[in-house]
Amino acid sequence: MEKILSVNNLGYKVKEKTILEDISFDVNKGEIIGIAGESGSGKTTLAKLITGIISPSNGNIKFEAVNNNKNSVQLLFQNTGQILNPFRKIEDVIEEAIKLRKNLPDNLELEKERIFSSVNFQKKYWENIGCNLSGGQQQRAALARLLAVQPKLLILDEPFSAQDYESKNTLVELFKNIKNKFDITLMCISHDLNALRNLCERVVIMYKGKIVEIGNTKEILKNPSHHYTKYLIKAEKYDLDHSELMKRIN
Amino acid sequence: MIKIDIKEISIKKHTENILLLKNIKLNLTGNKIFTILGKNGTGKSTLIKSITKLLDNNIYEINAEVLWEEKDIYKIEYEELLKIRANYIKYIFQDAVNSFNHLKNFSYYFNKFCVDENEINDLLKYFILPNKEKLFKMYPYEVSGGMAQRISLVLALLTKPKLLILDEPTSGIDSAIANLMLLKLKEFIKEGENSVLLVTQDILFAQKISDEIALLNNSTLSEFYNTEDFFSKYESDLSLVCG
Repeated sequence: MEKILSVNNLGYKVKEKTILEDISFDVNKGEIIGIAGESGSGKTTLAKLITGIISPSNGNIKFEAVNNNKNSVQLLFQNTGQILNPFRKIEDVIEEAIKLRKNLPDNLELEKERIFSSVNFQKKYWENIGCNLSGGQQQRAALARLLAVQPKLLILDEPFSAQDYESKNTLVELFKNIKNKFDITLMCISHDLNALRNLCERVVIMYKGKIVEIGNTKEILKNPSHHYTKYLIKAEKYDLDHSELMKRIN
Repeated sequence: MIKIDIKEISIKKHTENILLLKNIKLNLTGNKIFTILGKNGTGKSTLIKSITKLLDNNIYEINAEVLWEEKDIYKIEYEELLKIRANYIKYIFQDAVNSFNHLKNFSYYFNKFCVDENEINDLLKYFILPNKEKLFKMYPYEVSGGMAQRISLVLALLTKPKLLILDEPTSGIDSAIANLMLLKLKEFIKEGENSVLLVTQDILFAQKISDEIALLNNSTLSEFYNTEDFFSKYESDLSLVCG
């Protein structure tokens, strides 16, 4: 299987505090891989390292199947307000992003329509400015902005937080469609095991800055081998008793 | 214990009236956890706020009757309403951090109750919060949303209310902490005639915690069913999530 990314012995420290330690894994071209773990396990730090927002303290990240295009890796932040300019028309934002490409599309209007329709962003909102959109619309507009620069790897940081159950399922389907339509690889960071179960072929379980388990999502979530994964699954189902909780938290 | 009959709640607008809720009837009895399930924007928070008349009259038009121990909350004197809010019906809001005045440290809130120090410490420890000495010096802007929510719950429990109302208790927090809350709420309803009303979109949480569940959809509330019956009735609508 062709690799798109390989992470080798990656570590990240802030002063003396270790945030990530000895992280190694590969991402295959065209797959959807999940990164799971509780708050503070280092998931977002890992995304920031892969996108180059911060630099690792040690180890390296190699993009195997990506050329030197700096737009090849894009990150959908948890707070989508950070991606969209609140005072610009969404249509202009997307048009500008399309124009960043090396090879411009023959028909700009058609390309805009293709991108907007793939994220279910209705035409009636194209002329709206960012701050006039609801949270869900902002998220879809931000996603369109990322797709407009034709990334190879798209990282989604907690895309399901604050979504109701119906929206979560719609989003899972939307991400699957995007993957096929735009021929990209997706990495989805989430503490929502149920959403990852439906979306990702493989999953990485992180605990205190380390990878504790990696493999087929359904298999891992069905037969977890690490005690932390077992704990996460039990916590997700709200099945923990007080002593189990205290033991883990302390 | 509390009988709620909301005939209609609508939002006043310059040109039109938007109907938010209609014909909502609930009858909450003691020793039970009641849950209202519903998607974003169905009016769950509006409903719970209307119970103790927390909605702004300039924005909302409310036609309701809420009976607390045979007295109608919508007709009693304001002072009496304040007493009910302070002592018997407590809320834990979704955006708990903004339930606090950011210029006052937490000692202000805890000292109001003058309760047993051991009880405070026990509750803080249970919810994995900093100890009393440390927490009392902290300001609301220094704590995370999840911590603020737990502090709200501790404060609410210290007043020994009869009814606890929680808005989306699992949103934005780790499932382990939600788990902790679940255990505490189950303990709470065993004491006296206490009950809990919560609104959520977290189906699994509702399933694990509730004695009775109702669905809020298209401005109306279904009747409350016991948890097992609820899921067999609405299984097809909810199956995507329970997966």
